[in-house]
Amino acid sequence: MHEKEAGVIKMLEIKNIHKSFGQNKILKGVDLKIDKGDVVVILGPSGSGKTTLLRCINFLEKADQGLAVFDGIDINLKTASKRQIHSIRKKTAFVFQNYNLFNNKTALENVTEGLIIGRKMPKMEANALGKKALDKVGLSEKYHAYPSELSGGQQQRVGIARALVINPDIILFDEPTSALDPELVGEVLTVMKNIAKEGTTMLVVTHEMSFAKDVANRVIFMDEGVVVEEGSPKDIFVHPKEERTRKFLKRVLPEDFTYYI
Amino acid sequence: MSEGLDYKFLVDTFFVALSGVPIALAITIVALLVALPFGFILALTRINRIPVLHQFAQIYVSFVRGTPIIVQIFIVYSSIPLLLDSIFTKYNLEMNVYDVNPIWYAFIVFSFNTTAILIEVFRSAISTVSKGQLEAAQSVGLTNVQAFRRIIIPQTLVVALPNICTATVNLIKATSLGYALSLQEITLRAKVAANVGYNYVEAYIDIFLVYLILCSLVEYAFKRYEKRLIKYKAVNA
Ligand SMILES: Nc1ncnc2c1ncn2[C@@H]1O[C@H](COP(=O)(O)OP(=O)(O)OP(=O)(O)O)[C@@H](O)[C@H]1O
Ligand SMILES: [Mg+2]
Repeated sequence: MHEKEAGVIKMLEIKNIHKSFGQNKILKGVDLKIDKGDVVVILGPSGSGKTTLLRCINFLEKADQGLAVFDGIDINLKTASKRQIHSIRKKTAFVFQNYNLFNNKTALENVTEGLIIGRKMPKMEANALGKKALDKVGLSEKYHAYPSELSGGQQQRVGIARALVINPDIILFDEPTSALDPELVGEVLTVMKNIAKEGTTMLVVTHEMSFAKDVANRVIFMDEGVVVEEGSPKDIFVHPKEERTRKFLKRVLPEDFTYYI
Repeated sequence: MSEGLDYKFLVDTFFVALSGVPIALAITIVALLVALPFGFILALTRINRIPVLHQFAQIYVSFVRGTPIIVQIFIVYSSIPLLLDSIFTKYNLEMNVYDVNPIWYAFIVFSFNTTAILIEVFRSAISTVSKGQLEAAQSVGLTNVQAFRRIIIPQTLVVALPNICTATVNLIKATSLGYALSLQEITLRAKVAANVGYNYVEAYIDIFLVYLILCSLVEYAFKRYEKRLIKYKAVNA
């Protein structure tokens, strides 16, 4: 606790992560530090390795090299045992770009699956927590709807409830709004803002600059498998130090994007 | 024959044929119970290209598909007794292979056959369940076994159901070949009844009706079940 206050132990630290697909080096030594309650947004051009980074943290992809330090416990991202992988997955949650809701389960069953099966929680208790999570994302009317009966925005909100309900140390979001029709983006971003306000630790890959500006307390700019620059939203949007960051922002920021403090 | 159909015989023999239904169903159920798990596992070895098993499954499928069931029955019916006989003699067992109930041969042939068909059915069905389903299950803390049991297999079954239905109906019809094993199933019973007074037309009509009714009922049951599962259908995200 003291150490944490002194800033020595972070909730999650990623050290020197490397990953290649065949001859393609995708991640070339990325470091990352996340504190409890942080909302960290990762920006970067397509193909820069953002998704791969998140997937390696959750072992959906096996890194070639790298270390994850979770609450002070070292876990080798390449050689982690099945048990270590399982324990990290229980402490983290993932929100997917294309939702990946379980098609054979209702909204409520989607949300409670990780509790009842993954954590052996009694069904009654899990259902109560599941309903609360769905209420939080504005889906109290849809407990028993199947994914095929929900809109994209509703599906993604179930995806967020499914992540929230296991009360993870951190939620990893991979472009949670980029598969959505434009008119449905807002409802998902609103939910994400609300849970950020409640102190949920989040690592978010997104192209939604307004979310990065308004909600993140740290922004990381990645390009070609390395972290080019990181800082507060103000640092990145108003005073970017690196030429590559400036070029990227010039390309992606809307004309009317202004930074208010 | 000139007298037209013998209606009394027609009705009586209908029930004789009907009394063969339990045997046809027993063979069907045993074959499905064997073929569903083995077909699924071998389909997985093909999809994941597990060495040896994957090639084995491939050869197995082409062997079964490339030969008529009746030939498979003859092979099993003629070779297994020889095999058993040599085993019995070798270990001095007081057993006669010709006392073995022929239904065991039917169980073997039809399980063998249906497994091959279901390997192909499951292979295409599994590939329609996206990799994201497994990843989502892993990400909420399910083990791979739990993910397969609760997420992947149920979704695979939904997709595979129409083809499993076809395979089941084909299987029921194919059990009529059991007469070659002197098995007291639908076809043989009716034929034996017909032998007495040469009422073959009536007997064949009865056989026809019994299979038609049986298969229609099975198909209907599958359709009902499919309707219930339609909500599980994947969303086109
Ligand atoms: N399973 C894989 N096999 C081979 N190459 C892959 C695989 N996954 C990703 N890649 C490659 O790795 C590179 C980085 O991919 P990644 O998805 O991490 O980028 P990204 O920053 O998330 O991009 P985007 O903004 O488009 O989502 C891409 O060139 C991609 O083609
Ligand atoms: Mg990506």
